[in-house]
Amino acid sequence: MQAFQFGPVSIPLHRRAVTMVLGLSFLVVLVALAALSLGSYPIDTAGLWQTLTGRADPIPAMIVLDHRLPRILTAIGAGAALGLAGAMVQTMLRNPLASPDIIGFTAGANAGALLAVLLTGGMILTGALTGGALAACAVIALAWRGGLDTQRLILVGIGASLSLGATADLLLSFTDENTAADMARWLTGTLHARGPADVALIWGGLALLAPATAWLGFPLGRMAFSDDIGVGLGLPMTRLRLAVTGLAIILVALAVSVAGPLPFVAFVSGPIARRLTRSGGPALAAAALTGATVTLGADLAARAIPVVRLPAGVFTAMIGAPVLVWLLWIEARKGRL
Amino acid sequence: MTAEVILNHRAMDDRRALVLLASCAVLVLLCLLALRLGYRPVSWADLARALTAYDPTDPDQIVIRELRLPRLAGALLSGAGLGIAGALIQGMTRNPLADPGLLGINAGAAAGVIGATFLLGMGSPTQYVWTALGGGALGSALVFALGGGAQASPARLLLAGAAISAFFFAMIRGLVLMSRQSLETYRFWILGGFENVTAESLAALWPFFLAGALVALAAAALIDALALGEDTARGLGVNVGGAKLLAGLAIVLLASSTVALAGPIAFVGLIVPHMARAVVRNDMLWLAPCAGVFGAALMVLADLAGRSPLFGGTMQAGVLSALIGGPVLIWLVRRTGGRKL
Repeated sequence: MQAFQFGPVSIPLHRRAVTMVLGLSFLVVLVALAALSLGSYPIDTAGLWQTLTGRADPIPAMIVLDHRLPRILTAIGAGAALGLAGAMVQTMLRNPLASPDIIGFTAGANAGALLAVLLTGGMILTGALTGGALAACAVIALAWRGGLDTQRLILVGIGASLSLGATADLLLSFTDENTAADMARWLTGTLHARGPADVALIWGGLALLAPATAWLGFPLGRMAFSDDIGVGLGLPMTRLRLAVTGLAIILVALAVSVAGPLPFVAFVSGPIARRLTRSGGPALAAAALTGATVTLGADLAARAIPVVRLPAGVFTAMIGAPVLVWLLWIEARKGRL
Repeated sequence: MTAEVILNHRAMDDRRALVLLASCAVLVLLCLLALRLGYRPVSWADLARALTAYDPTDPDQIVIRELRLPRLAGALLSGAGLGIAGALIQGMTRNPLADPGLLGINAGAAAGVIGATFLLGMGSPTQYVWTALGGGALGSALVFALGGGAQASPARLLLAGAAISAFFFAMIRGLVLMSRQSLETYRFWILGGFENVTAESLAALWPFFLAGALVALAAAALIDALALGEDTARGLGVNVGGAKLLAGLAIVLLASSTVALAGPIAFVGLIVPHMARAVVRNDMLWLAPCAGVFGAALMVLADLAGRSPLFGGTMQAGVLSALIGGPVLIWLVRRTGGRKL
C-alpha cells in the first residue's frame, strides 16, 4: 500500500486496487469498441476509425454514431450508476445480498414508471424518479425507530418490494396487449433505441453526483465495520446511512429511467469488485466499472440474438446466477453460513 | 404442577377446540356466500338445488356448478395449503417471518410451471405439477443454502429468499418475452387467482394437496420438539434431519401444488400462522390444522372481496394478499423491533 500526499491531504492507494481499476477501464473500452463494430451491420476496425474521426460514408456513420454510440454510452452510464449504488448499499448494510434491487429501491421506480405510462402515456422518467423517491421515503420512515437500523431497513425493504412488485404486476394486467409487451420489456431492463437525451441524462447525473459519492466513499469504508467501531470513530451513523441511502436511490432512479431496472447489476458489481481489488473497502470505482462491463456485455449478448430481440435484463440476470452461487460458495468456505 | 395450572391448560384446550369449531363454521358460511354472490347473484333455493338436485339446463345452476364451485374449491385448497405450509416453515426455521412466497419456493415452482408450459409445451397441470415440485424444491434448497440453513437470522434468510426469487422471476420474464402469446397468458397468471381453476386441474392436483397435508401432520408432531432447540430435540430421541426433511417435503408439496393450481400467492403463509398462534399457541399439532382452516377462510374471503364491485370485480386474490401482506410484514418487523426475532 502506498499513499499520495497533496499538502495536508494524503490518499492511501492499494497497488492492486489501482491496477484493477485501470484494467477494468481498459476492459470497458475494449467491450465498447467491440459493441460499436459488431451487430447486424458489422464494421471493421478501419471503418470504425474513419467513422469516429468523421471521414466515413453516411450509412455506417449513422449506424455507429446515431444508433450504437448512444446505446453503448447509456449502457456504461446506467451500469456504473447501478454498480455504485449496489456497492454503497451492500457496504452500508454489511451484507452482500442487500443490494438496492433486492430491498425495494428499484420496485418503487418500476411501479411509478408503470403508473405514469398508464395515466399519461409517457413520462417514464418522472414516474420512475417520483416512485423511487416515494418508496424510499416510505421504507426509511417505516424502518425508523430512534435511528436507522440496518436489519430493520432490510426487512422493511423486502416487504415494500413485494407489495410494490404486486402493484406493478397488477398495473401490467390493466394495460392493453401492446402496451403490456412494451412495458414487460422495459420492466426487464432494455437498452434498445436509446438517444442522446438518455446519454445526457445519465452522464450528467453521474457527473453531478460524483463529488458526493467520492466524499461519502471515505466514511463508507469505516461503516463496513460494526456499529460500535463506527460510533467509536465518531461517525454520525444514522446521518451517514440517510446520505448513502439517498444517494443510492438517485443513482438507481437515474439508471432505471434510462435503461429500466436491469436486474442483478447492482447485486453482482460490489462483490466482484471487492474480490478483484481485495481492498476490504467498498471499492466504489471498481464496482462502477464492473457494473458498466456487465451491462455492456449483457447488451452485446442481447444484440447478438437478433430474431427474438430479448432485452438486456435477461442476460444480466443470467450473469447474476453464477455470482449468487459463487457468493454462497465463498461464504460457506469462510464458515460464515 | 399445581391444580390451577392444570385447570388453565384444560381451559386452553377447550378454548382452542371451540375456536377451531367456530372457524370451521365461519368457513362453511363463507363458502356458501362465495357460491351465492357474484356477477350473477343466485337465490338460496337455487343454490340448494344446484348442490343437491343438479339441473344442467338452468343457467343459475350452471354458473354455480361450472364456475363458482371449482373456483371455491381452488381457493379452499390453496388457502389451506399455504396456511399449513406457512405454519410448518415458521416452526421449522423458528423464524416468524418465514413464508413459502418470501423464501423462494413459490418463485421456483413458478419457474417450473412457466418453463414447462412455454419451453416444453406442457398444457395440463398433471404434467407441469412435477416441474413445479422440482422448481419449488430447488428454490427452497438454494435459499436455505444461501441463507445459512435453519439456524440463520431471519433477515439473512429473507434476503436469500428475495435474491433467489428475483433471479427466478427475471428468468421467467425473459422466457415469456420470447412470444407475445406467452406474455398474454403470463401477465394474468402471475397475479395468482382462481378464475382459471377448472375441474380437470382440481382432479389432477388434489392428491398432491392431500399427500402434503398428511406429510405435514406427520412432521407437525416432530417440529414441536425442534422448537426446544436441536440438541434438546436430539436428546429427546427425535431424528432432527429426518424431521426437517419431512417438514420440507410437506412445505414443497403444498406450496408448489398451489402455484400449479393458482399461480404464486405470497403472504398467506406469513399472516395466517400468526393469526392461528394467537389462538392455539405453539402446539404444532393444533397450529397446522388451525392455520389450514384460517388460510382457507382468508383465501375464500380474498377471492370474494376481489370479485366484489369495490375492486371492479376483477381483483385477483393473489394481488389482494400481496397488497395487504407487505404492510403486515412491515408491521411484524416493527412490532418485534426487527432484531430480537
